[in-house]
Amino acid sequence: MAKIIQHQFFYPNPPELVWEYLTKPELIAQWLMKNDFEPTIGHEFNFHASPMPDMDFDGIFYCKVLEIVPFKKLSYSWNFGPGDGSFTTSVVNWTLTEKDNGTELLLIHRGFEGTNNFLSMFNSMEKGWLELVQKLLKVINATANGTTQA
Amino acid sequence: MLYLLSKDSLTINSLADNFDMSRPAVSKHIKVLYNAGFISIQDIGRERHCILKQEGFNELHKWLEYFDAFWGSKLKSLEALLNERTNKK
Repeated sequence: MAKIIQHQFFYPNPPELVWEYLTKPELIAQWLMKNDFEPTIGHEFNFHASPMPDMDFDGIFYCKVLEIVPFKKLSYSWNFGPGDGSFTTSVVNWTLTEKDNGTELLLIHRGFEGTNNFLSMFNSMEKGWLELVQKLLKVINATANGTTQA
Repeated sequence: MLYLLSKDSLTINSLADNFDMSRPAVSKHIKVLYNAGFISIQDIGRERHCILKQEGFNELHKWLEYFDAFWGSKLKSLEALLNERTNKK
């Protein structure tokens, strides 16, 4: 499964208005979630949802503004976890394009990296480490099998 | 083994080629992984293929599905709000 989520919507409203709904906390709250967003690069903010114990989720998306190009582009980090300090990190990108007297809004949510799942542990391992571990496993297996083959 | 299978499903033979182990030893490892629910085994033609069961330990998969639906519904809400706004004008 691709680790990227993409949605494209067309709204018959100007980018300036759509932008307001992406950057004003009280307007964002109307369609997304309660938040303390500020349109400043580096600003750290949270989105408040309901905790979902089944999903190991404490109910808060921990975010930080990464990029702002007024009326055109907005991106923020989007981290979440069970509340024990471990996070899955990701990035949310918004792109607004003026089109046909309206706005094409593109959402890309990607870059998912877990700190607590098995596959990402392998993915983030340096190749050198991986080779070392494989060598080590070979030696262990050879010893365990009582063989001396190289 | 799990690392190799995370890249692609493999036949037991091609999986075994990656390890300095006897074929019975490899089969034993596979049996352990299979019993633990980490992999599934499918007969395709005359070969037995080992396939990683990602859902068993990959939380991310659940989240990707969740967010896909989440954003779809949130963006529809935004559409409704913007429509309301247009109609009020």
